[in-house]
Amino acid sequence: MSIKTESLTKHYGATKAVDGVTLDCDDNVRVLALIGPSGGGKSTLLRLLGGLEIPTAGQVWLDGEKLPLSEVALQAVRRQHGFLFQSFNLFPHLSARENVVLPLVTAHRWERPRALARAEELSGRFGLLTHLDKKPGQLSGGQQQRFALVRALAHEPRLLLLDEPTSALDPEMKAEVLELVSELCRSGQRIVLTTHEMGFARESADQVVFLTEGRVVESGSPEHLFTQASTTQVRDLLAKVMRW
Amino acid sequence: MARIVLNTILSLLLAAAFVLIFWVLISHHYRWEALAPYRGNLVAGWLTTLGISLAAMALSVLIGALLTAGQLSGSLIPAGLSRAFVEIIRGTPLLTQILIGYYLVANAIGWDDRIGVGIVILSCFSGAYLSEIFRAGIESIPASQWLSAKAIGLDGGQTYRLVIIPQALRRVLPPAAGQFANLIKDSSLLFVISVHEFTMQAREANANSYATFEAYLPLVLGYFLLTFPISLWSRALERRFAYEH
Repeated sequence: MSIKTESLTKHYGATKAVDGVTLDCDDNVRVLALIGPSGGGKSTLLRLLGGLEIPTAGQVWLDGEKLPLSEVALQAVRRQHGFLFQSFNLFPHLSARENVVLPLVTAHRWERPRALARAEELSGRFGLLTHLDKKPGQLSGGQQQRFALVRALAHEPRLLLLDEPTSALDPEMKAEVLELVSELCRSGQRIVLTTHEMGFARESADQVVFLTEGRVVESGSPEHLFTQASTTQVRDLLAKVMRW
Repeated sequence: MARIVLNTILSLLLAAAFVLIFWVLISHHYRWEALAPYRGNLVAGWLTTLGISLAAMALSVLIGALLTAGQLSGSLIPAGLSRAFVEIIRGTPLLTQILIGYYLVANAIGWDDRIGVGIVILSCFSGAYLSEIFRAGIESIPASQWLSAKAIGLDGGQTYRLVIIPQALRRVLPPAAGQFANLIKDSSLLFVISVHEFTMQAREANANSYATFEAYLPLVLGYFLLTFPISLWSRALERRFAYEH
């Protein structure tokens, strides 16, 4: 996937969440991982790349196309993608089935029977078929995230954007979800994710970007970043988290 | 153990209070025959109150929704006007609103239908309260729901219709039912513009028969018959919209 950004900046009042990020990922990068300390700007950068936020300054190019800057045009961009957040992705008043069907019918204008069939097909593949009629409150955290993943994938997204998809889960459920995501990585799905799971980033990503205080400290292949990072900041943090 | 004792004592006290009130009520020496000539008036008054209440409930939901939309619109003029309307209505007595609304405003535009004017004034009053209930309900939906809706590509209208309002509805029902009960009881204030509703008929029956309790006691039953179904209806809806389990 080719993702390019130039001096990408997002300020919330006085907070510089993303502060002049310039990135260049070529077509060989299928999975891009954003890592770094909490509050370092990973989530905001992910939202800017996915068109969920309008940058304060700078540009994003996706496959050579410049991302529009108007809310209406960005909505069309967002509809092409699939998003998954830390938690509470699903709508609690709807069954899992309706959660998957809703965007297909409203945002993508599918016929309802086609949307229902797609919901069943993907849920079957993700081992969720028996849970389709439950409300999110009746599902475990891992099942909720897997259904949220089904919803994000149902329309075959151009990019799958995952914002710390496992941070709110206990280890067992974390493994359930990471297993699925790594399967998606292997299947060739283009993914941008933020994560604290360094082992996962190292194994699955083609390119890793280390962000702190809204800036890119270092960017490169996982091999490079995890074994021979050139900045002490990255080396220190990775040494600290990899130790455990 | 202490809790069981406390619960038992409380239950006994409550039961004793009920028995006492019931006993006082039935042991009073009533003169129901003095009220007999006014029975028809009371029934007519009850029906008037029922009609006014139903119309004002429907209209107040509409006004409340418009005021909420205005306040949440994000554009300066509708938001400011809605806010001002809510503050003024909630901060002033209903009695004066009825007097001003009928004798000044309705009079100035040549509208003389007391019941119609009464319904509109009550609806504005109740609508102001409902709009705050609606607004609180909508604002109680967590930001993650808005973000999810945005992420799956819903537009503003779809987000409200499919995601926010269905969830807010459940939280809004109990306070809204309370507001409806208030509206029904507040309709008795329409006596100041001589609307012959339920309470007005009871006052007149009392004035003519000097049978005070006999005239006013039917109000207890009459108003309860109006408010209790709303309570039941609201609980049924709450169960229907429940999604926690």
